[in-house]
Amino acid sequence: MPLRGSLRSTTTILVSAGLTWMACPQAKADEPKPKPENTISIQLGEPVPPQKFEHPLKFWIADVTDRSGNPQPMMVMKERGGVFLDKQPTAIVKEAIEQSLKAANLLAPDAGSANLVLRVYLFHFGLAAGSGLDFFGKVEFSTMVKNTKTGESQEVKAAGTSIAKGAVRKKNMQKNVEENIEEALHDATRNFVRGTQLKEAVAALSKGTEVVPAGAPSATETAKPPSR
Amino acid sequence: MRILTVALVAGIFAMGTVAKPKDEASQYKTAEAKHFTTAEGVELTPAFVDYFYAELRSELTKAKLVNEVVGEGEAVEDADAPKSLVISGTITEYKKGNVVKSALIGFGTGMRSLKMDADVVRRSDKQNLCVLHVHVKIDPRWNEKIMAKGAARQMVKEMKKALAEGTKPS
Repeated sequence: MPLRGSLRSTTTILVSAGLTWMACPQAKADEPKPKPENTISIQLGEPVPPQKFEHPLKFWIADVTDRSGNPQPMMVMKERGGVFLDKQPTAIVKEAIEQSLKAANLLAPDAGSANLVLRVYLFHFGLAAGSGLDFFGKVEFSTMVKNTKTGESQEVKAAGTSIAKGAVRKKNMQKNVEENIEEALHDATRNFVRGTQLKEAVAALSKGTEVVPAGAPSATETAKPPSR
Repeated sequence: MRILTVALVAGIFAMGTVAKPKDEASQYKTAEAKHFTTAEGVELTPAFVDYFYAELRSELTKAKLVNEVVGEGEAVEDADAPKSLVISGTITEYKKGNVVKSALIGFGTGMRSLKMDADVVRRSDKQNLCVLHVHVKIDPRWNEKIMAKGAARQMVKEMKKALAEGTKPS
């Protein structure tokens, strides 16, 4: 009897050890890894035409800081093998804003020649909790606009949202997620460069100071006399 | 016979060209949807308000009521302001619902419910174009974001109807 008892317990231990061993690699496999098949590239596409300011201005983006608190900012989606970004969200946002400012000749060539320096704090980039039937893309950031001469600064908030259809096939799902985040990024960039908050911040920061760009005007720009 | 066929084809093309602008042209140039505020006592997360805002914008785009749906706080050209709308509102009531009541009694009892009021104003002179009241009820087991989807759809539908009635020549 004791022999049978010990045999039974040994078998139980062996079976449970075997099950644990089998479960371990599965648990590891659940954690998605970035591969070329599940990596998407987010781009702004067409630059967003910014609003017109009263005086000619030059902006410079000093840095973009991630304040989302997300330990894996490049992982957009964990389910179904995961969906990853090819670049850090901070780099994508910086590129999007720079692209739009550059297209309108509002981007300074360096920090020294800029009138206003932007520090962007990214709060959300990617998918947010939706209804479960669709994808809810959201890009949210706050920018500190600083006058390089006076040192004064103002906060400008911007957010972009997008809702895209859900998908059953993984290929379609990835495509929809990509389009959705791109649209949210476009929306957030537009909200920033065309927002009344930026207009008010620029007006408040340029009050009483000369707002003539410190850098030389470009070839396409007509030289204007400084407003006195 | 040949002349008749040519005339028929030309007629169809003419009808198409006449019908096309009617479908595409929107009376309003831009619409700005604002984040809805919540009345005191309404226990809804900011995530819900965010999602509703996104859904409302999405439904406005789908409805083709306006040429462009702009984000909250975006500048609009002065020339477009008289033909631009601003939609703002308040979530006045939210009831979580009761799964047990809904399952045992049925007939609409224990349903999750949401009431909201919205104002549609003209951007240039802030004239109120219409006031909307929306009441949505869903099964308490469903996600509250589905309720946001339904509310946004109903709001745009009612807005479209109200604006069409308001612009009808008397």
